[in-house]
Amino acid sequence: MRKYETLVLFSPELNDEERNSALQNLKNVIEREKGQILSVDEWGMRDLAYPVRKMMRGFYVRLEFLLDSLAVQEFERHIRLTENIFKFVTVVLGKPDAVVVEEA
Amino acid sequence: MSFKKKFTPKKKFCRFCANTELPLDYKRPDILSEFITDRGKIIARRITGTCAKHQRSLTTQIKRARQMALLFYTATHASYVRKKSTL
Repeated sequence: MRKYETLVLFSPELNDEERNSALQNLKNVIEREKGQILSVDEWGMRDLAYPVRKMMRGFYVRLEFLLDSLAVQEFERHIRLTENIFKFVTVVLGKPDAVVVEEA
Repeated sequence: MSFKKKFTPKKKFCRFCANTELPLDYKRPDILSEFITDRGKIIARRITGTCAKHQRSLTTQIKRARQMALLFYTATHASYVRKKSTL
């Protein structure tokens, strides 16, 4: 298990409901892969530095979670499948040994 | 020689070493933008004075920020240039 952070850029055309359901799907993937969501940080609508798919704005959401390193691929696959996600980046937080997961 | 005495450049220092609380993070385009030119190029560390260790991570953070449209790759494609041209 490692600690990861993913920044997702949603289309500005989505309303709150559609975006939350897309986000919920991603959270479900993490939970299905026996991960743990630590925090969800919504940055809100922001102007982009350059147009993406001809849109000048986008909605950023930052997810922080614990996940098995092999399951991250599966998680990213689901992000790619989700429509209306323009861009994402996943970053490892901390050293691998820094995170100790308690077994229940 | 006289001109050497007149011009003594200020000693440069690594801003990330001097202030450990200054975050070096792709999520902070406001800080990263101080280390790129207005055309979007990463400024060499001989000019900014950043140490080798921090310059290395600075480049990766800038590139991540570009990926996520937090910083622009080139000024011609940047939003603020486009806004001006459409006006």
